[in-house]
Amino acid sequence: MKRYLFIISRSPYGSSHALEQLEAAMVAAVFDAKVAVLFRDEGAWCIQQHQAGAAIGQKTMTNVLAALPAYDVEELYVCADFLNTYQIQTEPTLSVMPIRLPEQQALISACDVVITAQP
Amino acid sequence: MKYALAVHGAPYASEAAAHALFFADALLAGGHSIERVFFFHDGVYQGLGAQVPPQDSFNVDTVKRWQHLAAQGVELGICIASGIKRGVVNEAEQTRYELQHPTLAPGFELVGLGQLIAAINNADRYVEFPA
Repeated sequence: MKRYLFIISRSPYGSSHALEQLEAAMVAAVFDAKVAVLFRDEGAWCIQQHQAGAAIGQKTMTNVLAALPAYDVEELYVCADFLNTYQIQTEPTLSVMPIRLPEQQALISACDVVITAQP
Repeated sequence: MKYALAVHGAPYASEAAAHALFFADALLAGGHSIERVFFFHDGVYQGLGAQVPPQDSFNVDTVKRWQHLAAQGVELGICIASGIKRGVVNEAEQTRYELQHPTLAPGFELVGLGQLIAAINNADRYVEFPA
């Protein structure tokens, strides 16, 4: 079975990018694929604590992320540099591993399929 | 080789369709096969049947070019979740949601996200054309 990496690189509520990427990640996992998700660039904002999507009539991104393990999507990574750049405070109930660029390169190389949906 | 393609850009707003169409033509000309073209994110607008291409556009009538591809046996699958929320609906969805008109162009079909994953799993290569 192929190993998938979904890269989320846009902010959680600025577009449908993050949510639609996660929907695809969950479907891939349902197909028994091994699935990892990497948050980088503004996508790192997805894991910020104290989000309230209901305030703008949307799903709260961190709640969606909390549901991922139920779909067997348990490998979550975030770009360590962007965590630092944006001073993001990670939602404490999520298990997301910060990794630097060389580790991201290794992760991308190790996966059979990379879905970015981003230029 | 077998290819799975994904298109993420809206018509005339990005080069995604133009690049994907040229690539698909080259694949078929080179003796390769295309497992499926999957339209995701804003790419679902590629299947909107009511497009009027700009007269001075270089990428003349992308819908016709997609349909030409479909006529060669390539399946054009629109993500149903991304599609219906953007108003790209076939007759079944039009009826289900009590909308006035179906909007999906002939040659395209609404399919689940599982069809993207199935296509990738069956293909040797996956190539995506972002917005």
